[in-house]
Amino acid sequence: MTFDLDLIISFLPDIVRALGVTILLWIAGSILGIILGFVIAVLRRYGSRTVDLALLAPVELIRGTPFLVQVFLLYYGGPFIGLSLDSITAGLLGLTIYGAAYYSELWRSGFIAIPKGHIEAAQCVGLNRRQTLRRIILPEMTMLLLPSMVNMTILMLKETAILSIISVPELTLAVSALGTKYYAFVEGFAILALVYWALVEACSAMGRYAESRLSKYRFAAT
Amino acid sequence: MSWKLFWLLVEASRLTIILSAVSISIGFLLSSVVCAAVMSGNRTARMAGKLFVSFFRGTPLLVQLLLIYYLLPQIGLNVPSEVAAIVGMSLCTAAYQAEILRGGFASVPKGLVEAANMCGFSPAATFRRIRLPIAVQLTIPALTSEAIMMLKSSSLVSVVGVIELTRMAQDLAASTYRPLELYAAAGFVYLVINIVVAALGLGLERRMSWGRL
Amino acid sequence: MTDTPAIKVEKLVKRFGKNTVLDGIDLIVPRGQVTCLIGPSGSGKSTLLRCIALLEEANEGFIEIDGEPLGFSSGDFGERNRLPAAQTRKVRSRIGMVFQQFNLWPHMTALGNVAEALVTVRGMARKDAEERAMAQLSNVGLRERAGHYPSELSGGQQQRVAIARALALDPGIMLFDEPTSSLDPELTGEVLNVMRDLAQSGMTMLVVTHEIGFAASVGSKIVFLDHGKKIVEGKPDEVFGKPRHERIEQFLDTYLDRGAATLL
Repeated sequence: MTFDLDLIISFLPDIVRALGVTILLWIAGSILGIILGFVIAVLRRYGSRTVDLALLAPVELIRGTPFLVQVFLLYYGGPFIGLSLDSITAGLLGLTIYGAAYYSELWRSGFIAIPKGHIEAAQCVGLNRRQTLRRIILPEMTMLLLPSMVNMTILMLKETAILSIISVPELTLAVSALGTKYYAFVEGFAILALVYWALVEACSAMGRYAESRLSKYRFAAT
Repeated sequence: MSWKLFWLLVEASRLTIILSAVSISIGFLLSSVVCAAVMSGNRTARMAGKLFVSFFRGTPLLVQLLLIYYLLPQIGLNVPSEVAAIVGMSLCTAAYQAEILRGGFASVPKGLVEAANMCGFSPAATFRRIRLPIAVQLTIPALTSEAIMMLKSSSLVSVVGVIELTRMAQDLAASTYRPLELYAAAGFVYLVINIVVAALGLGLERRMSWGRL
Repeated sequence: MTDTPAIKVEKLVKRFGKNTVLDGIDLIVPRGQVTCLIGPSGSGKSTLLRCIALLEEANEGFIEIDGEPLGFSSGDFGERNRLPAAQTRKVRSRIGMVFQQFNLWPHMTALGNVAEALVTVRGMARKDAEERAMAQLSNVGLRERAGHYPSELSGGQQQRVAIARALALDPGIMLFDEPTSSLDPELTGEVLNVMRDLAQSGMTMLVVTHEIGFAASVGSKIVFLDHGKKIVEGKPDEVFGKPRHERIEQFLDTYLDRGAATLL
């Protein structure tokens, strides 16, 4: 087997399109997951006990089962309960739900980690509940949660590769298809790994940069 | 869905458990080496260790599995797909566990090591009696999560033709045309396994709970 | 031997980056007495203690323990020659250290903490080591707490265990690095009492402390540091008696609640 550069160049448009799908799914899934996760966390913290318990079950179900099984259930099982989705929609929905469960736990840990005294101090100077959330809790949480949020978002990118199994036309599927066509699996998957690696490193570098920019808001030593 | 089908899933989960347990164990041994390299004074070893951790944490396990599955025969190793699966999973979890261990050692308070120095401990004795036991205790929760993560990730080896829990559910779903029930049942089996592992981890944590630092 | 001081420090300089923390310190710690290092936060007193324990390596200068060089020996032309680790360990074994944060090993009981080095370092049988450890715990009044883990002990009790741990190794010199600074005020008494008993038994002690009352009553020598320099040194009545050095006066003003009120 020889390394054929021209061959690679001729695939480039396909690959770039597939990379676009991967990145789009990743970013959309992460953003929707973060938002949905936040809603779940707020409902569980400030809602009634029934709400908390009602949300605990699905979150733990998602966190306790493989993403692949969830995607299979949604994509192949969905039509039996009237939920016929094309692969991209199913993939994005699956990724969002999966991400929301994990992000909601991160948000929850953030709520718990903020010292009660900070909230009491906010109430003492007259901030109401909404102002406290917006001006005190959220900014403090951004700093606290940034590293774990970046980690989770990196995990989301890696999980998008799994969507190739339900034939979402993303990067891993595109490379697999080329591999099958030219029987060049090893080269293909090696390059694929490098692409993911570069994306992950870029994302964590961005996270580190943001963290260093925010470091002046670090909790003061007591 | 009949009990017979469900029982087939339970039987297939045995392979899921074996693959995960073997990979986690091999991964732990490997991670000790990687962690030692990352923490060592040797620059080359440190770089190699960091590169290993970065690569296997920075790429999807699915891609790693596919790469290894196709790579092994090309370098003359015609092994069953179960072995390829174990190789892939072990390497991946080794990177995560190495990072967990490194974090554990980094969290051992400096003062405890200084106290050992003042009591005349040799570096080896300090490691064996102070740093190692404390690091292990600190990392048990993270290692438990990693074990659960690997159990879930083992579903990916279904794509390289290993008939474990997920692949069995897939095959049965195709033949019975009942994907909803079968994937739900498979999820349930994973959940039960993970609850057991989480409980074991919690028990271990409690048994080693000589208190907080 | 009686002429050699327990600790002799010569022209010690320690820098952290561009920051000079110790600026040419000379210090003599006489045998069988309590020497107290006092001074404002950041004056370098803890760093000096940590240099004497070789937990920090000084950039310049020499330290002698019982007349033997620690860490570096002085060459013919005053240059510093690094001594082998084994020599360092041997000399350091004469020093016991008590830390501000206790630093008890959390995975061992009080008894285990005290017995550990006897087994691991001295090679004693576990049973003999525990017997000796138990005797040490009795001395600090913690016999019935021997089976407790550090997390089950109060701060004062933890610090007393830490003192027993250091004493079990039979050191000739005890260093105390702000031993009561992380304790609740009502718990400092029990630790200071143990230290007072130890001083009465004739132990050589070097104590970094903010407890001015303790320093004035137990110390036989007071050394006042500021900005990495030794400002005043002498017997308590010389240092605290009037007329005082202007810097001591300022310092005492800020430490009224630490027993300094009696001195004013």
